[in-house]
Amino acid sequence: MRPYPHLSVVVPLLNEEANVGPLVHAVRTALTGVTTWELVLIDDGSTDSTCERVREAAAGDPRIRLVKLARNYGQSTATQAGFDHALGDAVVTLDGDLQNDPKDIPVVLDKLGEGFDLVVGYRVRRKDRFLTRRVPSWIANRIIALITGVPIRDNGCSLKAYRRSLIDRTVLYSDFHRFVPALAVGAAGARIAQVSVRHHPRTRGVSKYGMSRVTKVLADLLTIKMIQSFRTRPLRLAGAVCLVSLVASGVFGALVLSRSVGLVTGSATVFTGASLLLASLGVFVLLLGLVAEVAVRHRGGRPDRPPIVSEWGR
Amino acid sequence: MEPRVEKATVESMGESSPEISVVVPVAERPWALDRLYREYAPALEATGEMFEFLFVLKPWAGDLASPLADLIRDGAPIRVLETGFQAGESEMLAAAAEVCKGSVILTLPPYPRILPDAIPELLQRVRSGLDVATARRLLTESSWLNRIQNRAFHTLLRWWVGGDFKDVACGVRAMRKDAIRDIPLYGDSYRFLPLLARREGLFVEEVSTKQHPMDGKTRVYSPGIYLRRFLDLLGLVVLVRFTQKPLRFFGFLGSVFGLSGSVILVVLFFQRLGGQDLADRPLLLLGILLFSLGVQAIAIGLVGEIIVHFGASARRLYRVAEVVPSAERTGERDEG
Repeated sequence: MRPYPHLSVVVPLLNEEANVGPLVHAVRTALTGVTTWELVLIDDGSTDSTCERVREAAAGDPRIRLVKLARNYGQSTATQAGFDHALGDAVVTLDGDLQNDPKDIPVVLDKLGEGFDLVVGYRVRRKDRFLTRRVPSWIANRIIALITGVPIRDNGCSLKAYRRSLIDRTVLYSDFHRFVPALAVGAAGARIAQVSVRHHPRTRGVSKYGMSRVTKVLADLLTIKMIQSFRTRPLRLAGAVCLVSLVASGVFGALVLSRSVGLVTGSATVFTGASLLLASLGVFVLLLGLVAEVAVRHRGGRPDRPPIVSEWGR
Repeated sequence: MEPRVEKATVESMGESSPEISVVVPVAERPWALDRLYREYAPALEATGEMFEFLFVLKPWAGDLASPLADLIRDGAPIRVLETGFQAGESEMLAAAAEVCKGSVILTLPPYPRILPDAIPELLQRVRSGLDVATARRLLTESSWLNRIQNRAFHTLLRWWVGGDFKDVACGVRAMRKDAIRDIPLYGDSYRFLPLLARREGLFVEEVSTKQHPMDGKTRVYSPGIYLRRFLDLLGLVVLVRFTQKPLRFFGFLGSVFGLSGSVILVVLFFQRLGGQDLADRPLLLLGILLFSLGVQAIAIGLVGEIIVHFGASARRLYRVAEVVPSAERTGERDEG
């Protein structure tokens, strides 16, 4: 059994046949100073010859590894597959289209060596279109920072470095690769640093992103916020919503009462209906919160305990 | 939960083990089971491979299996399994897969749907690398009404779920036994097995076959059946597209309801400021009702997300087709 490498570089690929060769070359060049490393390329169900290109690159170089997924699962799951197969103590993720510069890998690694669990790159002098890419991205980063409370400058930058212990306690699924820092802090308790990295425009292949992701990001953001704040106590969230509904129900109830005792003249039918509807909403949400508590209690998998991130004394 | 197999009666395979297990979940409109055996057994004999038939029956199935007794006495390779409780076809197949001996499973509905001469090709396709080979009937015997129904169903399926299946629910399927554990088998998933198997990353293809003349009768179903099929399809859409992201579905519904409710309430609020009394405005009820529906839908979506969040660490999220070179530290979270 060969020793585990110090560093794993994980790159999910979807139809990047033109980029595989240059990517492997760039990583090899960038990592000449690193003692042991591996490049884990995940083929996320490509329909072009990406897989063959990776096989060619891997021939004769055991540091290059291919993990071919049975179908297209999306970037988050593909990255998770890379994490699961990576052997390194430190793991760096990159985009498959060479928009990140592998020369920055030593930079993020150095930062990781200072004691952080996650180092996130932010792209300076981005080479993307201003209106359709950079402006939405700027707004999204501000909203994400505001809602999650984790002020990351560039959530869309794939160049990140992870300590193995962090990877072992996070799971990427759905489209949560964009929210790794928020998840890492909220659900896994990580220390995070940010470093500036270079950005190159895509020169080969086509982008897999479009504007349709805006609504998806919003739905995901709500989920992340909930996971951050209420993952182990959903009843608190439900209780708050229930309380608001019951108070609103009480306001309409008071209006009904004022009419029935003759303080105000007129029909009380509509207000009675409104009061009952709001009360039923409150009860429903409370019951749902109880179901959520049951779901939390019956969770499967790894034990959900906070990691100890530092320790003093003897 | 899988049904407990209550009894397994006579089995007469001699010493050697069968390579093909034919599983017949006897759930709906069964034919005479001995006729079914006689219809398909010659095609299996022609393959030259050993085979066994497993008829899976619900409890208290009455005389359904009695015609098989003579065949069993004459040495036919038939096993009759009776499930411990009322089970659907999915659970029946799962239970049979536990006890069958062949490395390839061929499922047949309890009535003939395709001509037997297509069976060898289905088996051959699995032998040559497919995980699931599912029969696609060329509907030459069906009435135009049934053909339109079939076409409409599969068009909806393609729009909503994707895939290019033309006869997803045919029920005649050959599959590797090892592949079965990767296919979610519960409830009505048997009907959409090829689609779900492909979603799990298995290699699934349709094989064109000739329709059996007995399958061609015009069938007009009760309205309840159409409603059930529609609900099946709806469940499938959510299962396939939103399993990992329930809030995308419920959040969309919730936003539509919630926003329309909010618009109504805001309009009424300004009318109230303008001096109008709301006590005789039923629109207030509609506004609150829509808003409340929105909150409920989003709340249900959030509960779904909690379940997914905690389930994700325990479940295998992907299927690996190949690793080059093979890893020392295997990746998959677990095999369950």
